[in-house]
Amino acid sequence: MSTDSIASGGIAARIAGFVRRPEAGTLAGLIIVYVVFAVLGGGLFIGAPGWSSFLNMAAEVGIIALPVGLLMIAGELDISVGAVLPAASLTVAIISGHYDLPVYYGVAAALAVGLMVGAINGFLVTRTTIPSLIITIGTMFGTMGLTLGFTVMIAGSTGVFMTPDDISRALLGQFVGGMFRVTIFWWVAFVVGTFYLLHISRWGNWVFALGGDRESARNAGIPTRRLTIGLYMYSGFAAAFVGVSQVITFQSAQVAAGQSFIFNSIMCVVIGGVLLTGGAGTVFGIVFGTLTFAIVNQGIFFSGIDPNFGSIIIGTLLLAAVLSNDSFRQMALSYASKKS
Amino acid sequence: MKVENTWKKAGLAAVLALSSTALLAADIFVIGGKPDDPFWSIVKRGAEDAGLVVEAQGGSVTWLGPQNYDNLGVDAAELIRQAIDQGADGIVGPNWVPEAMDPAFQAVVDAGIPLIIYNAGGIEAADRLGALNYVGAVDYLAGVAGGEYVGKAGKSNGVCINSLPGAANIEDYCNGFVEGIESTGGKGSVLPLPATAQGNVTAVSQAVRAHLLKNPEIDAVFTTANLDAVGSVQAIAQSGKAGSVALCGINFDEAILTSIANGSQACAIDQQGYQQGFYAVSILNGHINYGLNIPTREILTGPGIVDSSNVEATMAGAKEGSR
Amino acid sequence: MINIRVLLHSPAAASILSLIGTLVFYVVFGGVELGQLVGAASWLNFAANLGIVAIPVGLLMIAGELDISIGAMIPAGAMATAIISGYYELPIIFGILGALSIGVIVGFINGMLAIRTTVPSLIITLGTLVVMQGVVLSASKLLTGEASVALLAPDWAKFLFGQLIGASHQVIIIWWVAITVVLAFVVHLTRFGNWIFAMGGDRESARNTGIPVDRMTIYLFILSATSASFVGVCQAILFNSAQVSGGMNIIFNVIVSVVVGGVLLTGGFGSVIGIFMGTLTFAIVNQGIYFTQIDRNWSSLIVGVMLLLAVLMNESFRKMALNYVGLKRTKTKAVENE
Repeated sequence: MSTDSIASGGIAARIAGFVRRPEAGTLAGLIIVYVVFAVLGGGLFIGAPGWSSFLNMAAEVGIIALPVGLLMIAGELDISVGAVLPAASLTVAIISGHYDLPVYYGVAAALAVGLMVGAINGFLVTRTTIPSLIITIGTMFGTMGLTLGFTVMIAGSTGVFMTPDDISRALLGQFVGGMFRVTIFWWVAFVVGTFYLLHISRWGNWVFALGGDRESARNAGIPTRRLTIGLYMYSGFAAAFVGVSQVITFQSAQVAAGQSFIFNSIMCVVIGGVLLTGGAGTVFGIVFGTLTFAIVNQGIFFSGIDPNFGSIIIGTLLLAAVLSNDSFRQMALSYASKKS
Repeated sequence: MKVENTWKKAGLAAVLALSSTALLAADIFVIGGKPDDPFWSIVKRGAEDAGLVVEAQGGSVTWLGPQNYDNLGVDAAELIRQAIDQGADGIVGPNWVPEAMDPAFQAVVDAGIPLIIYNAGGIEAADRLGALNYVGAVDYLAGVAGGEYVGKAGKSNGVCINSLPGAANIEDYCNGFVEGIESTGGKGSVLPLPATAQGNVTAVSQAVRAHLLKNPEIDAVFTTANLDAVGSVQAIAQSGKAGSVALCGINFDEAILTSIANGSQACAIDQQGYQQGFYAVSILNGHINYGLNIPTREILTGPGIVDSSNVEATMAGAKEGSR
Repeated sequence: MINIRVLLHSPAAASILSLIGTLVFYVVFGGVELGQLVGAASWLNFAANLGIVAIPVGLLMIAGELDISIGAMIPAGAMATAIISGYYELPIIFGILGALSIGVIVGFINGMLAIRTTVPSLIITLGTLVVMQGVVLSASKLLTGEASVALLAPDWAKFLFGQLIGASHQVIIIWWVAITVVLAFVVHLTRFGNWIFAMGGDRESARNTGIPVDRMTIYLFILSATSASFVGVCQAILFNSAQVSGGMNIIFNVIVSVVVGGVLLTGGFGSVIGIFMGTLTFAIVNQGIYFTQIDRNWSSLIVGVMLLLAVLMNESFRKMALNYVGLKRTKTKAVENE
C-alpha cells in the first residue's frame, strides 16, 4: 500500500503503478469535480476569486484533516477537534481581548489548551480499551462545557471581542493579495511537515504499523503508547491553531462554533482514500480529498445551482468517493494477489 | 437499601424546606434559548438581574433552555411542562412554534399559574393563551426594519444569509428582510447555506463572498447571527466591494459594534434582549407578590437600530454583557 | 448469592450502577429532590424519544456496525408525515406509511452499501446522513415553500401516537417500553439474538456457521432507520407540526446512551436492558440538571464526564465478567477477548 509497490520498469509500468496508488483515484475525482464546477461556474471560478474561495476554506479544514487522517491511518478517531477549535479561539480572545494581555500570551495558552486536550485523549485511549470514538465524544462534551462555563463566568457573554496586534495579524490573519488567507501558506507548511513525518521519517512506518496491527506493532518494539499520545496532541494542536487563526482573522470568538469541523474533517480524509479501519492512506490523498471537498462546497455558490441542494450534492459526493475508493482498492488488491 | 432511605429522607426534608419558602415568594421559571447563544445569554442576564429583586424578596428565578435548536418547538414545550412539574409560581416563555407549544402554555394557564409570553409570538399569542402580557420584539418586523434601512440608504438588491435553514425564527427574519427591501422598491432574496458551513465562520465568509462575486448586482447583505455578520464583513472586503455593499444584521456584540464604528457594517437590528428578560421577570414578580399589573399590553423592546449615529452609547452596554 | 453474582456480571450491571451514581450525584451536589424528579415527565419523555432509536442502533453496534443517518431520519419522518397529511391533506395513514417507508428505503440503502462494499458503516451512514438532510430541506422548500409545516391529525392517530397521558407523559413512553420488551425477547431468547452477537464477534465465522449475515445486516439497518422515522411521526402528530432541522446532536446522544448502557462499540457485547438503562441514565443526566442549582452552562461538561466515567466503569465490569466467564471455561478465551 505504499510507494515501494511501484515496479521498477518501463514508463508504462510506472504509469500503471501510479494508477494503482491509493491517491490516484482521489486525484482523478478532484480533477473531475474541478472541471464540472469550472464549466458551471465560468471565468469567475477559474480565476483568482474562485481559487481563493475554495483554498481559504480548504486550508482550515485541511490543517485539521492532516492529523485526523494520521490518526485514522493509525486506526483511531478524534471527534474532540470540534470542541478544541472554539476553546482555542476563546482562550485567545479572553486572554488578549478581555484581559488585554499581549497576543502571544493568548496564542501560547490556546495552543497549550489544544495540546492538553490531545494529551488527555491520548492518555485515555492508550490506558483503556475504550474505542477512541467514545473517548473523544466524551472529551468533546467536556471541552464544550468548560469553554461555555468559563467564558460566561469571565466575560459575561458567549462571544468575546479582541483586537490583534500587527505582528499576529500579519502572521495569522492576513489576506495576501486581498483575498488569499495566510492560513493557506500555513496549510502548505503543515502538509510538508506531515509528509516528512508519514512518508520519510521512521515515524511514518510506525503509524502504518499501528493501524495494521497494534499488537504486533508493540511486539516489534514500536513505542505505540507514546506514538498514539503524540498523534492526539498533534490533532489537538492543529485544531487549536485553526481556532487561533480564526479569532485573529475575524477578531471575535463565539462559543457556538466549530461543530461542523468534526464531520467535515472526517469527510475530507475519507474522500482522500484513507481507510477508516486503519493501515492505509497518504498525505497527498488527504490533501486531494480536502481540495475536492472545498471545491464542491464553494463551487455550489459559483455554479448557479440552487443552494438548497447543497447538502444533497455534498453527501452524494462523499458516497461516490468512498465507493470508488473502495473499488480502486479492491482492484489494486486483486492485482497484487495475481502478481504474487 | 439503608442508604437509599437516608436519601429519601434528605429529599423529603428538602421538599419541605422549599415548599415553606414557596408560600411566601415567587419562584419564577424562564424558558429561553440555548446557553451558548449570544443573544440569549443577554436575555438571561436581564432575567438574572431582575432576579436579584426576586431573590431579595425570598423568591427565585430559574432559567430553562434547550441544549440545541434541533427540535426547538418540541423541546421548549417540554421545558414548559417541566416548569409546571417543578411547582412554578410564574412562568415566562417564548411562543416560538405555536402549533407545538400552545398546548403546553394552555396547561400553564389551566394550572392557574400566571404566564408572560416574551420574545416571540406577539400580543396575539398572549391574548389567545390568556397570558398576562407580551414583552419582546417580533422577528418578522426586525427583518422588515433591516430591509427598510438598507432600502432607504439607496440599496436595491439585498440577500439574506440563512445559515440555519429550517429554523422558524431565521426564516422569519429573512422573509421580513425581503418584504422590507421590496417595500422600498428593491429586490430581495435568501441564500441558504449547507449544513457543512454551520458554526464555521470561514465557510460562511467564503460562501457569502462567492455569492457576491457570482451576483454582482447585489448591493446589500443581511445576516441573522453574530458569526455570520463577522464573516460577511470579511466577505465584502475580500470581494473588493467594501463601501459599495451595505451589511446589516440581527443582534450584535462588541466585534460587530466595532465594525459599525469603523464603517464596515452599516447597521444592526437591536432586539434589546436584556429588556425582554428583565421586564418579563419584574412584571411577573410584582404580580405574584403584590398583585400589581401593567395596563400597557404588548411591551415592545424592538426593533431598534444601531448605526454610526448611536454606536458609542451601545458599546458601553455591550462591554457589560447586557446589550 | 449466585443471582447477585450473575447480575453483577451481566452487561446491564454497570449501566444500573451508572444510573444510581447519577442520581446520587444530583441529589448530593445538585440539591435535587428525588420525589419531584420522579414525578416529572420531562426526562421520561426525553428518554422515550431517544430510546426507541437507541435500541436498534445498539443492536447494530452489537453486530459490529454503526448508523448515524438516524440524525436526519427523525426530521425526515416528521416532515414526510406533515407534508403528506398536513400540506397535501391526505389521510394520516398515508403520512405515517409514507414516513415509515422512507425509513425502510434509507435503511435498505445503508444495509446494501454496508454488505456490498468494505466501507465502514460510519462513513456510509455519514454520507446518507448529509444526503437526507439535504433531501428533507429541499423537498420541504420545493413542495411547500416553507421549512415548517403544520399538521392536524385525527383523534385516533392522536390517541395512538400523540397523546399526553395525565397531560404530561407522552404516549411514546408506552411504545418505548413495548419495543424494549419485544426486542429484549427477540434478542435474548430467539436465535436471531445469537446471530447478532455472533456477527459482532466474528463476521466471517458467523457466515461460515450458516448465519444469513447479509440479510441480518440489512434488517438491522432498516430497523434503525424506520425506528427513527417512527419517532419523527410521533413528534409530528403530538406537536401538530414538523420543522426541518439538522439532527447532529441526536447522533451523539444516541451513541452515548448505547455506550453508557454497556454495549461494546466494537461489537459482540451488550444487552437490550442495558441500552434501556443507559438511555434512562443519559436522560436523567441531561434533564436532571434543570432540577438542580447548577448553572446550565456546565451541562455539557457534566455529560462528558459522566460518559467517560460510565465507559470506564463498564470496561472494568466487562473485564470482571470476562474473567468470570473465563474462569468457568478456559482462561485463554478471556485473554483473547481483551
